[in-house]
Amino acid sequence: MAENGAHDSQMLKGVLSLALLRLLAERESYGYELVTQLHELGLTEIQDGSVYPALGRLERDGHVTSRLVASSSGAARKYYRPSRSGYAELAHIEVAWQSLVGALKPILARPVPAKPKEALP
Amino acid sequence: MRERRLRLADRLRIERAVQRVDWVLDGRVPIAKRRQVRNELRSNLVEAAQEVGAEKAIQQLGDLRALAVSYLELYRGRFDFQAGAIAAVITYAALQVLGLALILAFHAGVAAGGAHSGTYSLQFWSGFGPFSISVSADGRQFSMLLLSPAHLVLMAVAFAIGSSYRTVFARRSH
Repeated sequence: MAENGAHDSQMLKGVLSLALLRLLAERESYGYELVTQLHELGLTEIQDGSVYPALGRLERDGHVTSRLVASSSGAARKYYRPSRSGYAELAHIEVAWQSLVGALKPILARPVPAKPKEALP
Repeated sequence: MRERRLRLADRLRIERAVQRVDWVLDGRVPIAKRRQVRNELRSNLVEAAQEVGAEKAIQQLGDLRALAVSYLELYRGRFDFQAGAIAAVITYAALQVLGLALILAFHAGVAAGGAHSGTYSLQFWSGFGPFSISVSADGRQFSMLLLSPAHLVLMAVAFAIGSSYRTVFARRSH
C-alpha cells in the first residue's frame, strides 16, 4: 500500500486474478459480491468494470466454472467457483507472488540513501 | 446495508448503461455470448444499485466504453459485421463521390467541346454500372446511378473484407 493508502492500479490489475481465485476458493460468489469483498479488503480502487471481464477471462481460460442462480432482485446471479485448473492456477500464481515478494523484500528493507553511489570508472 | 427499491427511472438508467456496452459488441460478439454479457452485467448492476443507487452503481463500472472493449477482446467472434457494414457504406459513399467527380469532369469536357444544347451521356459497362451518367450541355441537369449490380458487388466485397480482415490478420500474425 502506498503512503496515502492508495494502490497502484496497474499493479492491482496484475494480481486481480489471484485475488479473485483466492476469494472464490473460499466461497462460491458472483460479480458484484466479489467487488464488495475486494473493497472490504481495502482494494477500493478496483472498479466493478475491471472485475467482470476478469471473471469472464478466468472462465474462458477454464479456471472457473459458473452456474446461474435465481435471485430476489430479479435477474439471475452468475455464481463462479474455481475449476481443477483454477486451483492449479491459484497455486501457481501464489508461488509466483510469494517468490516476487521474497525477492523484493531484501531490496525494500534497505534504507534509501540520500544520493545513489557513483559508478566506478 | 439496507436494500433500496429500484424505481422505473433507475431500471431505465441501468438498461441504458447495459445497452451502451452491448452496442459495441453488436455484430462483433456471437449473439448467445452477448446475451450472457448483458444478463450478467444487468444482474450485477441491479445488485449494486440496490445498495448504492443506480447512478453510483453505473459510476462504479468506470468507463463503459473501456468495459465494452474488454468484453470485445474477450469474446470477439470470427466476423466483425459492424466493421463490414461500415466498409460497405464507405464504399458506397466513395462510389457516389467518384460519380459526382466524373459528372463534373465530363461536363467540363462537354463544355470545352463547345456543346450548347442537348444531353450527353457516358456509361461504363452498360447495365452493370457503377457509373452511368448524363449531363445537359448547360450543366443544369444531370443524372447518375444510385444503385447498380456493380454497386452491390463492390459493397459485398467491401463487407466481406471489412468483416473478416481482423480474423485473417490475426491468423497471419500468429
